[in-house]
Amino acid sequence: MVSDAQAVQWLLYGGAFGLVVIGVFGLLALNNAFRLLLALIILESGANLLLVLSGFREQGMAPIILSTQAQAGIMNDPVPQALVLTAIVIGVGVQALALTLILRVKQRYQTLDMRQIKALMEKDISEQHQVAHLSSYESPAQISAGRESDKA
Amino acid sequence: MNELALLVVFPLLGAFLLPAIATISPFISRYAGPFILFTVLILAASAYNTVALSPAAIHLGGFMAPLGIVFYIDPFSMMMAVIIALMFLLVWPWKADTPVRLHSLYLLMAASSMGLVISGDLFNLYVFYELLAVSSYGVIAIQSSRSAPAASLRFVFLSAAGSVLFLTGIAIIYTLTGTLNLAHLSMLAQGQLNNFAAYAALLLMIAGVGVKAELYPVNSWVAEVYASISKPLAALFAGLMSKLAVIVILRLIWMMQPDAQFLHLLLILGMLGVLSGELVAWKANDMTRILSFSSIAQLGLVFIALSIPSENGVFLAVLLMLHHWLVKSGLFLLITQLHADPTRLKGLAQASPYMALTFLIFILSLLGVPPFPGFWVKLQLVMGLSEMQQSIYYLALGVVLTATVIEAAYLMRLIKQMYSPQPAAMPLPLQTVNSQQRIAQFFALILVVSMLFFNPVNQQIKQVAAMISDKVLVIKTVYPRYYDSHHHLQQQASLDKQLSSVFEEQRL
Repeated sequence: MVSDAQAVQWLLYGGAFGLVVIGVFGLLALNNAFRLLLALIILESGANLLLVLSGFREQGMAPIILSTQAQAGIMNDPVPQALVLTAIVIGVGVQALALTLILRVKQRYQTLDMRQIKALMEKDISEQHQVAHLSSYESPAQISAGRESDKA
Repeated sequence: MNELALLVVFPLLGAFLLPAIATISPFISRYAGPFILFTVLILAASAYNTVALSPAAIHLGGFMAPLGIVFYIDPFSMMMAVIIALMFLLVWPWKADTPVRLHSLYLLMAASSMGLVISGDLFNLYVFYELLAVSSYGVIAIQSSRSAPAASLRFVFLSAAGSVLFLTGIAIIYTLTGTLNLAHLSMLAQGQLNNFAAYAALLLMIAGVGVKAELYPVNSWVAEVYASISKPLAALFAGLMSKLAVIVILRLIWMMQPDAQFLHLLLILGMLGVLSGELVAWKANDMTRILSFSSIAQLGLVFIALSIPSENGVFLAVLLMLHHWLVKSGLFLLITQLHADPTRLKGLAQASPYMALTFLIFILSLLGVPPFPGFWVKLQLVMGLSEMQQSIYYLALGVVLTATVIEAAYLMRLIKQMYSPQPAAMPLPLQTVNSQQRIAQFFALILVVSMLFFNPVNQQIKQVAAMISDKVLVIKTVYPRYYDSHHHLQQQASLDKQLSSVFEEQRL
């Protein structure tokens, strides 16, 4: 038999790992820049939850000792909380930066599809270096041509 | 010793104050950055001799480890600190019209790089790694080239995902052991970190940091980012930033001492990196991409060296890193005006023979032609691999030699272009020699000097590597009291076992 406390713990760990898995899957499978960002955010929350859980104690209190009332009791571990706080702050900064970058890319290339962005970027790089652009299957002309042939 | 915390504090403070200072006096803000870096350079260089004999630990705020935060200062970290300060000084954007935020970001990168090489626990490693990553996103994003935002965005996605994996690895390690201090972890490694969960954590951390270290499957950003940023910045990224990430991986591997199978995995990733990098560089049709992919291959060599589970592996990795730092930074600085098609190199030897000579020195050393340092480095790698006497290491040996042939094919092509006569229709490849190319010549000079004094340099690096890989020394430095009080009680018992049991007691 699984005790209640254990069941809760499994649920918490399962949830955190689940978020990580969803995030990784999203990063691998999606092509839209904004959805990629959302997947990244989900992945980050999963990792943060996992870290908080590593310091979480059943019925633990906040790890603050007030000098007047020294209590003996279980306390939650403050180190992972500090780490998570750092990670959250960094995460928000990176997400904001990624959003502004997405905006700039959208203004320049008029698309959010990462495959098209990559192809257009490769073309830009080739132009900057004044070399012939080796077009690949994923180059935008061929992608749009493929789409039209799909419709037809 | 405590003043060494200033290595991080000075540049960090400078980075935050610079925008404010710029509104008061543009003159001070223009020269404050180089001044700070120069101070830090002197500080690190003067500390090197002191720590060359015995490493030191700085317990910040007087809180002893493992409760407090530790900076671990060994000769290697001081050597890297000197290199970091020197490198940032050399690629510093001196132009008068440089925006102050760029100066700020450079200082922020310098501060976090310093922190990365001297921090003694995982928490700080994570924080400084993130700081380095975020400031480098910023630097890439404000480049003026057309492809910069897209390259930056792709890099942000990959690198941020890597950071999260790193954090997940840290969470698992903390759950298993309850500590983040590297010395403490290496004490517990024998008992608590040789299981599946800990190896999974190590793999997550290596995959996360590997993004910056150009490790094989997560290096798709390399060529596009280096092509989108200014070439001195590319020199900084390829030459220095990738090495810093490798240093994190080196410290993690030596902390955990994973078993042979794990190291074989790293070896295979390194081999794939070498082969894929060299093959793509061979196909590439512009200078920037050739150098970027060759840098992936060179870092693959570093990972191959890291997978040798002995002091020799650390020594080889450090040697390869230093060599690649000199050569690749020099080459990226050289091609500031020649980043296009290699055929543009035609007539370079006529136009400026010294530039061609510098180019030649770098290329031959990168390739591993005697008597250049690259040859001795590669020779020692090959000998180290053959000493392992295992089939997979022989395979790696074959890969290294095959890769050298491919490398020769594309690098010799460059030399041929350089020394062929200039066609009448084309302009001279190089009108004026700019400051970046002077700096590249400085790197070539260091390379030649280290060739002349290769033996003493080699010995020095061997000592440095011995100190990195000496686990007992690390533990003794960070935990002097625990070590002294329990040292003579059980001198018969093996030290690793003894220390871990001591710490078990302390924890209970």
